Amino acid sequence: MDLLLDAIVLGLLVGCFYAAVSVGLSVAFGLLDVPHIAHPAFLVLGAYGTYMLNRMGWDPILAGVALMPAFMLLGIAVYRFYYETFERRGSDAGLRGLAFFFGVVFIVEVGLVMVFGVDQRLVEAPYIGKSLAVGDMRLPLRLLVAFAMALVLTIGLSLYLSKTFTGRAIKAVAQDETALRLMGANPVRIKQWAFGIATAVTGLAGALLIIVGPVEPTIDRVYIGRTFCVVVLAGLGSMSGTLVAGIILGISESIVLTLLGASWAPAVSFGLLLVMLGIRPQGLFGR
Amino acid sequence: MALELTIENIDAGYGAVRALQGVSMHVGNGETAALLGTNGNGKSTLMKCVMGMVRPTRGTLMLTIDGVEHDLTKLSTEEIVNIGVAMVPEGRRLFPRLTVEENLLLGAFRPQARAEIAKNASFCYEAFPLLKERRRQLAGSMSGGQQQMLAIARALMSSPKLLLVDEPSVGLAPILVSQTITKIKELKEQYGLTVLMAEQNFHQAIRIADRGYIIVHGEIVFDGNVAELEKNDLVKNYYLGTAA
Repeated sequence: MDLLLDAIVLGLLVGCFYAAVSVGLSVAFGLLDVPHIAHPAFLVLGAYGTYMLNRMGWDPILAGVALMPAFMLLGIAVYRFYYETFERRGSDAGLRGLAFFFGVVFIVEVGLVMVFGVDQRLVEAPYIGKSLAVGDMRLPLRLLVAFAMALVLTIGLSLYLSKTFTGRAIKAVAQDETALRLMGANPVRIKQWAFGIATAVTGLAGALLIIVGPVEPTIDRVYIGRTFCVVVLAGLGSMSGTLVAGIILGISESIVLTLLGASWAPAVSFGLLLVMLGIRPQGLFGR
Repeated sequence: MALELTIENIDAGYGAVRALQGVSMHVGNGETAALLGTNGNGKSTLMKCVMGMVRPTRGTLMLTIDGVEHDLTKLSTEEIVNIGVAMVPEGRRLFPRLTVEENLLLGAFRPQARAEIAKNASFCYEAFPLLKERRRQLAGSMSGGQQQMLAIARALMSSPKLLLVDEPSVGLAPILVSQTITKIKELKEQYGLTVLMAEQNFHQAIRIADRGYIIVHGEIVFDGNVAELEKNDLVKNYYLGTAA
């Protein structure tokens, strides 16, 4: 019983972390309809950026925040390229876009291997390696930090999308671009900006990734399943849903890990994804 | 505030298909002009030309607001919206998975409208009390008539000076058509708008119009004030199908 309670609490913390690494995808795939399978690769890129700044003595969270402007520009550039070469040419943009982002994944992975090698990397900070004792439980501080940041990220993004003019235009853009033009907003600029924001948030989430555990260049493959599972489970584009879906995935993985062993854990995300697509394709909070 | 829309001799089309041929129109300040014609005669194309969504291959489209001339053939749709033109598009084109309130707030996207958001919103909710009641409901879940109300309200949220309404009666029950048309007239008077409305329903449209233009196969075949329209033989023959 204690074991199960431990699993649930740990799953809750990890789940919020899963939400944080997924919010960028929730914007790019959920709201903009861009098949952004390179999202986890950008996450790992953010983790390595954090690693480099950390070696120069920066705090990892601060490093993640400092990476955001550069990631914003990266996102804008990638979207611009995707738009000019694929999306603008119409109908089968989805499938060809998938091939494009698959290519981006390989470029990022190979680039990271060439620069950093295949060894695992980690960061140092006062809160890494310590834990907080709550009753009989010991909660790792690095997970608590990631948990807090996850809340800040999802709530911040959710407020931005619902309270600002640009945010609302981002929510509307995939629904009807012509109508958005009639509101006086340029759909391509809105999407470009939104993709920039999604990528900037992913850069910061990358810092959380390397705070939570060591990172190697191909760790993104584990996160393709997890991030897409969270976004689909949440209901495309729902930020509050992302938090709930992250927690569901976190707790499920944690319980499976405890009861069935580590080898089953990776199956959880795809399992949940398939079940969700089968019984409620619009997701928990889908409109 | 003075406004004047002058359309001179425009041609427009889609590829090899000619949709408009030598169309000229003039909408004066505070007027309601009705563009009348059945399906496929070029009404929507003309509206889209004014909004910069279809580019004419020939002719001029000038909008003068307070003495400033704007060449609409050179401006993007967004820029045209920004100078104070709003369109209620055919088929309404709401954002179905956003709430009524979110749709209205998107209507106020243009910078000049943001300052007037509170005033415009309370005005819209007063004109359409149902929208206030349902402001948290998804736009896509409302009935056709309610959606048409929302589409009109959303256009008004941009504080327009010129309002284009493309086929407000499509898909509505007769009683709703009449209500919608009456509402457009009320709003026009309260807001001091100039209105260009495309409509197939002749009798409803001329109830509120000052001037009517009849478009057949992409050409204006007759224009005149309402009294002239009603007694014209050509109108009876070509448009109403009730030859004398």
